Amino acid sequence: MSLIKHAKTYLLNQSNYKHLNAFNSLVEPSVLLARSGISESDRAEEIGSNDVYDKPIAIKDNICTKDLKTTASSGILKDFVSPYDATVVKLLQDDGAVVVGKTNMDEFGMGSHSTHSHFGPVKLQRYEGEEVSAGGSSGGSALAVATSQCWAALGTDTGGSVRLPAAYTGIVGFKPSYGLLSRWGVIAYANSLDTVGILGKNVKDVEAIFDKLNVYDPQDPTSLPRSTRARLLDPHPKRPDSLRIGIPLDYNIDTLHPTVRKSWIRRLRELWNRGHTLHPVRLPTTQQALSAYYVLAPAEASSNLAKYDGVRFGSRAEGIDGAPGRVLFAKTRGQGFGPEVQRRILLGAFSLSAQAIDNYFIQAQKIRRLVQHDFNGVFARPNPLFDHDGTTSSKKRKGVDILVCPTAPSLPPSLSEVETQDPIHSYMNDVFTVPASLAGLPAISVPSGESHDLPSGTSCNSVGIQIIGQYGDDKLVLDAAKNL
Amino acid sequence: MFARSIRNTLAAASKQRYICQSCLHRARKSPLALTRLSTQPRTRSLHTESEPPQPPRNATSFRKLLKDAAKQQKKKEKGAVSPRHNPRLEHWELTVGIEVHAELNTARKLFSAAATSVSEAPNTHVALFDVAFPGTQPRFNKDTLLPALRAAIAFQCEIQHKSSFDRKHYFYQDQPAGYQITQYYEPFATNGKITLYPHDFPPGAAPQPEPFDIGIKQIQMEQDTAKTVQQPPSTYLLDFNRVSHPLIEIITLPHIHDPTVAAVVVRKIQNILKSVNACTTGMELGGLRADVNVSVRQRQGHSESSHSYHGVTGLGQRTEIKNLASFKAVEDAIIAERDRQIDLLESGGIVEGETRGWTLGSKTTKRLRGKEGEIDYRYMPDPDIAPVIIGESLVKHLRDTLPKLPDVHIDTLVQTYGLTAKDAITLISLDDGARLEYYLATLHALKRDATQNEEEVPLNVLGKITSNWVLMELGSLFTDEAWDSTRISTRFLKDVVSHVRRKQITSPSGKRLLAMSFDGDKRSVAEIVEQESLLLKPLSHEEYVKLAQNLLDEKPDMVRDITEKGQVKKTMWFVGQMVARSPEGTVEPGKAKEVLKEVLGLGDQEL
Repeated sequence: MSLIKHAKTYLLNQSNYKHLNAFNSLVEPSVLLARSGISESDRAEEIGSNDVYDKPIAIKDNICTKDLKTTASSGILKDFVSPYDATVVKLLQDDGAVVVGKTNMDEFGMGSHSTHSHFGPVKLQRYEGEEVSAGGSSGGSALAVATSQCWAALGTDTGGSVRLPAAYTGIVGFKPSYGLLSRWGVIAYANSLDTVGILGKNVKDVEAIFDKLNVYDPQDPTSLPRSTRARLLDPHPKRPDSLRIGIPLDYNIDTLHPTVRKSWIRRLRELWNRGHTLHPVRLPTTQQALSAYYVLAPAEASSNLAKYDGVRFGSRAEGIDGAPGRVLFAKTRGQGFGPEVQRRILLGAFSLSAQAIDNYFIQAQKIRRLVQHDFNGVFARPNPLFDHDGTTSSKKRKGVDILVCPTAPSLPPSLSEVETQDPIHSYMNDVFTVPASLAGLPAISVPSGESHDLPSGTSCNSVGIQIIGQYGDDKLVLDAAKNL
Repeated sequence: MFARSIRNTLAAASKQRYICQSCLHRARKSPLALTRLSTQPRTRSLHTESEPPQPPRNATSFRKLLKDAAKQQKKKEKGAVSPRHNPRLEHWELTVGIEVHAELNTARKLFSAAATSVSEAPNTHVALFDVAFPGTQPRFNKDTLLPALRAAIAFQCEIQHKSSFDRKHYFYQDQPAGYQITQYYEPFATNGKITLYPHDFPPGAAPQPEPFDIGIKQIQMEQDTAKTVQQPPSTYLLDFNRVSHPLIEIITLPHIHDPTVAAVVVRKIQNILKSVNACTTGMELGGLRADVNVSVRQRQGHSESSHSYHGVTGLGQRTEIKNLASFKAVEDAIIAERDRQIDLLESGGIVEGETRGWTLGSKTTKRLRGKEGEIDYRYMPDPDIAPVIIGESLVKHLRDTLPKLPDVHIDTLVQTYGLTAKDAITLISLDDGARLEYYLATLHALKRDATQNEEEVPLNVLGKITSNWVLMELGSLFTDEAWDSTRISTRFLKDVVSHVRRKQITSPSGKRLLAMSFDGDKRSVAEIVEQESLLLKPLSHEEYVKLAQNLLDEKPDMVRDITEKGQVKKTMWFVGQMVARSPEGTVEPGKAKEVLKEVLGLGDQEL
């Protein structure tokens, strides 16, 4: 199909679904149409094997772009234009991709339903009159892909922010291993967890983007250097056609929605039918992982968000700010940040304070190590960040290749439900996604592939199945997802 | 890995001076740039009051300072009350710990590619990360470790194999990120010391004749903040050039019990940092700042001295005085705070743990904030910055190639070159070591000259003569101007000194030669001596006697004063007259003195 036809479809959808609030800003339609004016023969030359050439891609609004505002859906950055492009944006543009717009999200990535936005909530609507959560915090990116307002989208995943909205909106959301994709130009929420993620209609598209972005960036101090990347691939044991699939029993919690459990079991049975083997495994720190996450992420956030004072960039409160002799931005910060951001800053400031750090921040760091230890204990492949010489791998361990579990314990709640939910309850939604984030592991959410009925009489697919692999096993995770 | 990659560039790097090339360019174009700079406020102060920096001192004023100090000391020793014997201090013991912040001599900032700068136009050396733009990340410049390590080695610290960076949070407009990146949990150097010798003190001020140590708890690397330029009444301009300039913070143990020792410690830290090329700008330009912790306790009875700082126990409640920008400020602030605390305790009060400020010239410290206002810095490891691993081979290399420390210099100057300790210290402390270099170059040239002429002149004699010329004669020429090693070439000075030493010209002629060269005369010593007929035409002994007799006959009163009243010093007036009244280059002062003594019958008396 010609691009001009594509471009028109995307533009039409952008206008049809404007009320769902997926975008904070869009490029002029002319940009998209101008690109589709290039003759087919020229294009054929350029494209070659390039899968992202001319593809319209949406960028989450916490990833810096020179041409469009970068607001992180926050009042304090509501008019901010970054003087530079994030590395991931630059890489895509260099390969000919077209940035179509910046997507709505939870302010600074803090939320699970994309409702904590200065620009209003993102709405998932599967039938007329419905308003449910698109998941968060990359809800705008997920919805834009799901409603074909773009070909694919970049999001960020700190504790599940790409995987959860992918599950709710019925698309594919991939969080690569920490350190593979550059964070230069990605507005930090909790830098030790923040990962650029990719959202697309299918695994193949997601993988195409991943391959473009999976390069070392000297500007990001946490980007894996080339030597370490080589080690991830190097003594790559030959994968047998039959995978050893782990079922984390600790994820079969009481509050798991019956529809979700049913989907999970069905997918496992299918895998077994195809010759893969199933193995129950224990990840005992799963429950503590969620608590640890909600100590660590706000702690880092309270530090990362200290820079927003409206002095050098960003918005300032009207009138005089600050009593004499005091700092000049108490009012600016009070007005610029939304309630959820303020809540997490306060939480983080507390857990780092002299009287609390030992009981909260330090304990949470210890749990983070235990979570990583849990995962290392179940995977066949040793963690390449730990075993430098690879001697232990020669001794064949009886571990699993991947873990398969639900992405979220429940179905997307309605927005009115979300509004009345207390924050702790909404944090519970991240229980299955947070452990992989704490350990920096690659994880992907794919649609469960079966429909469930909606009250309206229609049906939809809002259950995501998550595949988690050992650190650096991103390709295996993507391959497994293709087979699912 | 880091150690291996850096090893290749080590040899060059360790000797390299880290100076921003564009700054260097500017400095060359405008030699006054630095002097002009000293009138700007450069202090970092949380209390936003800037103190005028101390003007740099030249040779004569520094020597005068030492002389005055010696005089004062003599007076004090004669007088009844000396602060050293302040009766209150029999009861109260002062304890001081110091934190010195020094700007490292590096080309680039600690975490960005922006160049460091001292006098550039505001906000011209700022990377996006320096002003905390969203999405930017730090990039640790490994080069900044080299001067930091040299400093740590000079202070005999244990270099930590692994160290890491933490965030110290507080809100202030000079702190763009809302936190400072520093080393709190794992500093790169610990357990050092600084040894104080009597020669470090003004004459007579050393508390004991033997050298003694002040412990250094740790040295850490950290970022500097932006410079606030106050524009009264209510405008504050921010210059982000200084943001993230690499600093080291040197924390001493509370081992200091005397305000003078504290000032000497800070000065010695500065000298050591400069001599190992860790830091280039001193306190006078804001490159070094000190905070002091002050407490007092009763010498007998430890009932209320229950505090412990850095493992030193039994101390009184301390207060911290921030942002001291001169040695004098360090000393005076400690004295004022000590006396304030003693007054308070003697009148039944208690010392509050608080942060205080001090402005130059004031008599008391001023409360800035109390304990309830103390900031909880919420230290957190920086998740973006990997730990720093320092290889042993790097440390060894830096240790082996460390420039000589001032103490080693002083030893050589006194033992081998025959200088007094006072002159040796003066020579080292002047002009960032340029004077010392000049001195050594001249001395070595003289030595070569003597060897070529097969003269046997002991090195300590040559050394002493040379120091007199470099300090006294050149010092008086450069009284009103900044030192410039190229103004009078070392070769020229060498020739002057040689001529005088070999009695080819008189020393007054030698001084005249220097003055001529100073004023731009391009001729060589030999040419001037020849063209101006300065060559010594020695008078015979008889001619000396005759000259002396004529003079003495003119002033019988003075002769009587000398011979009858024993005012032998007046003989020197006649020496001066003999030189003055004869054609230039004929009368040598030394010989004139001997002849006068002979005629006056003074024998071997000292004049």
